[in-house]
Amino acid sequence: MLRREQNDLLTQTGPNTPGGRLFRRYWLPALLAEELPNSECAPVRVKLLSERLLAFRDTHDRYGLIDEFCAHRGVSLWFGRNEEGGLRCPYHGWKYDYTGQCVEVPSEPEESGFCSKIKLKSYPLLERGGVLWTYMGPPDKRPPLPEWEFATVPREQSFTSKRLQECNWLQAMEGGIDSSHVSFLHRGELSSDPLFKGAKGNQYNLHDTKPVFEVAESPGGLYVGARRNTEDGNYYWRITQWVMPSFTMIPPRGNHPVHGHFWIPIDDENCWAWSFDYHAMRPLTVSEVAAMRDGKGIHVRYVPGTFRPMANKDNDYLIDREAQKAGRTYSGVAGIAMQDASLQESMGPIVDRTKENLVSTDNGIIMARHRLLRAIKDLLDKDATPPGVDAQHQRVRSASVVLAPSQAFVDAATDALNARPGVAHSTV
Amino acid sequence: MSSESARANATAEARFRIDDANWRQRVVKVMALDRRSEPVVRRLAQGQFGGATFFTASAFAPAAPSHADMQFSMASWLSDLAGRTKDLLDELQTADLVAMVATAGENVQQVASVVGEACKAKHVTTIAFVLGSASAPREALSSTLRQLRPWTLMLVIAASEEAIAEALAALRA
Repeated sequence: MLRREQNDLLTQTGPNTPGGRLFRRYWLPALLAEELPNSECAPVRVKLLSERLLAFRDTHDRYGLIDEFCAHRGVSLWFGRNEEGGLRCPYHGWKYDYTGQCVEVPSEPEESGFCSKIKLKSYPLLERGGVLWTYMGPPDKRPPLPEWEFATVPREQSFTSKRLQECNWLQAMEGGIDSSHVSFLHRGELSSDPLFKGAKGNQYNLHDTKPVFEVAESPGGLYVGARRNTEDGNYYWRITQWVMPSFTMIPPRGNHPVHGHFWIPIDDENCWAWSFDYHAMRPLTVSEVAAMRDGKGIHVRYVPGTFRPMANKDNDYLIDREAQKAGRTYSGVAGIAMQDASLQESMGPIVDRTKENLVSTDNGIIMARHRLLRAIKDLLDKDATPPGVDAQHQRVRSASVVLAPSQAFVDAATDALNARPGVAHSTV
Repeated sequence: MSSESARANATAEARFRIDDANWRQRVVKVMALDRRSEPVVRRLAQGQFGGATFFTASAFAPAAPSHADMQFSMASWLSDLAGRTKDLLDELQTADLVAMVATAGENVQQVASVVGEACKAKHVTTIAFVLGSASAPREALSSTLRQLRPWTLMLVIAASEEAIAEALAALRA
């Protein structure tokens, strides 16, 4: 349960909101690099943190992320002509470069210097790991580029997708650290999904359906450990990473690629669910990539030409009551991603947390909210850099390990929880 | 024509949600398991928790005699913060949740097992918070976690007392 004012603090991320100030201290994934495939390609509308923006790639392959609307009469520059080093408004020919600087106003004498007085708001947009990242905060607080392992391994070892989720970012993200729902909602996928099945750890998941949990603060967020019994008296641990504000990494299964998410606010009632898969030691196989493109694992199939899932609220998520009754899926919705998204969207655009009734196994969620609220307070009171900005906080891994009962996972799995180039994930 | 989900998920529909309270006050028993946790629980007791009552079992450990030596009785070792002796089993009769508070490095083996066994017998869910992990040696933290692990559904290594207070509030204590 949260008080209403706490819920507002966490769910509102527009300009000048406390939560918005927090998000604006991080590099955020803005677009897939493939959305701007070449120089002078069509610009792309981007809405992030309740700001309407436009991304484009200019003649010289420079990426720009600028205010969507022309400073002259407010026309959307999505209609613009991407040519000769800038984006030109088709209405009266005003032209902007990748920094948002107006470089040409045809109606004014060139010598007047009028255009130098016009500049659209813009943010840096840089490519790393097939993702275009932006930083929307104070320029003097801009951190180095992100160091998430999925974005720094060779490209053939990584696959990233994004999908529209039509609800507030927080209720989506909280699903990523709520380990206890897996045994219900996703139970069918452990033995059928090509990106999950076959791992030894799955047997522990299926045989011990009442895990117990341990939560500990990490430098950048939280470790959420779920513990199950093994056949020989040891414990099978699945350790999820949450790094502030909205990065989650799911523990690996066998030799499958490891996966995780970013939950990025579009506005207060929609977010992007970014989903990545990577393998630290080898290229992804052709069949793995094909499965990911086909919506398996944590990815989805799209409505063609969009990033909206094929199963969405307009078609009742293609719910199949027969499959639900027969146990092929637990909720009747197919696929891990949409099983989560359908339920999270059903909470409403922004869930009212004053009415919820959490239980002790929800303490990962409780602790994450606590850390977020604390970080917002420290940012407002002391301008403190929030956890998760430091690149070291980003060099993390989830892990699945078998440990003796006497071992605390935060100690025994210390190495396993840090990214180590050239070293495989700890996985069962 | 829009689907049922599209209509139901819309912002405009949220105002038709039932506004009656869907919960009753939970009864939470918060127990300090060692002497260093006792002042923490005392400070927590100053908070606005309508359904929580606060106790200490610190007289029971760590320097206290063993079970056998002290002629163990469930009725004689738990006390409220005013120092009145309380019967653990009586307290559990009405409890929805027991929240144990321990300090990393303290020996809470006996007291955790007593509380845990009693909760198990009464089917009361337990949660445990461990404080002081930043200053305790790793092995000391591991030892305390090991002692608590058999008796709790959720173990939280809390960075501050504030985190415990937030958790109790979130659990409607």
